[in-house]
Amino acid sequence: MVPDLLAQWMKERRSPYLLLTFIGLSVLAVVLFGMSSEGKTKIDVFLAEGTSEAEAAGWIERLNKSEAFEFVLRDEEPARAEVREGRAMAAVQLLPDDYRIVAAVDEIQGLLAERHVDTVFRQELQLRAAAERSGDPERFRLDAERILQNPPLTLHAAAPDGGEIVSYDMGLQLMFGFALFLAMFTIGSKINAVNAEKTSGIWNRMILSPVRKTQMYLGHLTYGFAAGFLQLAIVYLIFLYGFGFDLGGRFGMLLIVSALYTVAAVALAMLIAGMTKTPVQFNMVYPSVVPIFPLISGAYMPPGTITNDVLLVIGEFVPLTHAMDALLGIALYDAGWGDIFLPLAKLLLFAVICMGVGINLVERGRR
Amino acid sequence: MLETVELRKEFKGKTAVDDVSLYLNKGESVGLLGPNGAGKSTTISMISSLVKPTKGDVRLHGRSVIKQPQDIRKVLGVVPQEIALYEELSAYENLTFFGRLYKLKGAALESKIQETLEMVGLRERQKELIKTFSGGMKRRINIAAALLHDPEIVIMDEPTVGIDPQSRTHILDTVRLLNREKGTTVLYTSHYMEEVEQLCNRMYIMDHGRIIASGTHEELQRILSGEDTLLIQLNAPSQGLIQELQQLEPVRRAEETDNGLKLIVTKQSNILTAVVQAAERQRVQIINIHVHTPSLEDVFLHLTGRTLRD
Repeated sequence: MVPDLLAQWMKERRSPYLLLTFIGLSVLAVVLFGMSSEGKTKIDVFLAEGTSEAEAAGWIERLNKSEAFEFVLRDEEPARAEVREGRAMAAVQLLPDDYRIVAAVDEIQGLLAERHVDTVFRQELQLRAAAERSGDPERFRLDAERILQNPPLTLHAAAPDGGEIVSYDMGLQLMFGFALFLAMFTIGSKINAVNAEKTSGIWNRMILSPVRKTQMYLGHLTYGFAAGFLQLAIVYLIFLYGFGFDLGGRFGMLLIVSALYTVAAVALAMLIAGMTKTPVQFNMVYPSVVPIFPLISGAYMPPGTITNDVLLVIGEFVPLTHAMDALLGIALYDAGWGDIFLPLAKLLLFAVICMGVGINLVERGRR
Repeated sequence: MLETVELRKEFKGKTAVDDVSLYLNKGESVGLLGPNGAGKSTTISMISSLVKPTKGDVRLHGRSVIKQPQDIRKVLGVVPQEIALYEELSAYENLTFFGRLYKLKGAALESKIQETLEMVGLRERQKELIKTFSGGMKRRINIAAALLHDPEIVIMDEPTVGIDPQSRTHILDTVRLLNREKGTTVLYTSHYMEEVEQLCNRMYIMDHGRIIASGTHEELQRILSGEDTLLIQLNAPSQGLIQELQQLEPVRRAEETDNGLKLIVTKQSNILTAVVQAAERQRVQIINIHVHTPSLEDVFLHLTGRTLRD
């Protein structure tokens, strides 16, 4: 095992660019997609005839008090095109003291946006009506604002355990999603060395040496694991200390879950290495299969976006789904070992099955 | 020392190696000769325990090694046909890796690395990456990697395919050194007749998975002792002359060469007059006639009806 590990390390030392590239890509992807508008969903706003720009600016200012959405004024045609072509879930048309939601499909984000817009309009129009009736609208407004700052009646929402309701951090989800996804590529490239060594004849040379088969496999699996795990740990540390992400304060637990995920990813790479015979075949199959995982597991989408039963069932067979459940549970909801036991058990089961079948296939291919 | 008994390998119903029995005595250099696809590589894969035979046995000192492959692996050094090296590492790093596989460490490892590099003539280039080497240099390091643990038997699978003359000479010298000075037993497979003639005490000729002849150089040549080869140089090619000569009774085979034709005739047949007369009739001029002692290439042609490089 040790000579094999050292050989892989010597190769890595000579050409560490792949590992560094994937670390860089993980950071870049989160910065581009997870930190733009602080994780808010962008919604275009355009004006109907008779609505002035000053009036629109007032509405946009009120709408942008939301923590989930960012409303941006745009021309009508491009805003409608974005919705029509599926690039935006909804847009808002501002009418004089009214609005219209433009959407192509019914989906949860659109409904949430509509609810927010409706609340803002209802509140503002009620205030205006009451102000007009008071005889001194300006004074009424000032009084209303003062009372709202210190209301006589407050509604307090709490989590089932009585604690604070945690506001969902989409940036954190994307950080985990991209980090786990890109680590699969690093792991795949390392495990593909098994196929490369089989093709070049190095594998046969090792079989003829006193090194045992178990040690040969362990050498490759350990190296693949170490590279993937190191990449994940570095990305987490960059976001924890470099970008000030709140990872929930239990970094050790995150690392243990990530280690289990890395084992599952190594097993999956071994399965694909067993199904393919050459490094070229592996390089064709692996990058075609892996990018589907974050889409099925919903790693890039807000929770609850995927509602299709078939996709949800397929998602159960994707390690990313369970790793994301466990990591977000720890970082956002303060989950303990008991809470994340099920996703961890599924990851372990996935790893055992894929590893067993994968090594068996590699051995059959050799015979 | 090492023998195979009726070794057979079938792949998906096709027989790649068919009842091959051969033996190697200690200190011998034995050639396994045959064209591409003859079954040489499959045979040596079975001998070296990489492939399990469908039938038959491989014995080391009389003991079967099919179920106990560790016995043969300990004494074996295999030089595969492919370049089984890490291209991204230097020659020295590759040899360090392969030496460590055989539990060599520290000064012992260093000394073996330098010794094998010296043997293959690449000591000065040891720090360079394999991917920067020529095909011949890679093949020399490929050999060095198989010699680090001082194997008693070295199996070489076509070690000189597609390389420059300088590297080829080096490799042949290395094999000679191993066999004659170090007493290593060598099984050398090739489809280059002249290499096997130069290096090996005995040889087996394989075709279509079977051994079709075996023996020393002289024993094999005796297969053709009843024949002479006439190399006739002509001023112009003539298919008519070939056809006419093929009708003559002593002519076993007539074929065109680059500058004339080659006749295989029964020994001591008085054919020269008939050849000259036929050339006159076909209006071609004979420039030179050379009576040639049969080579192993001729033996192979005689046995299989084709040349080694077909």
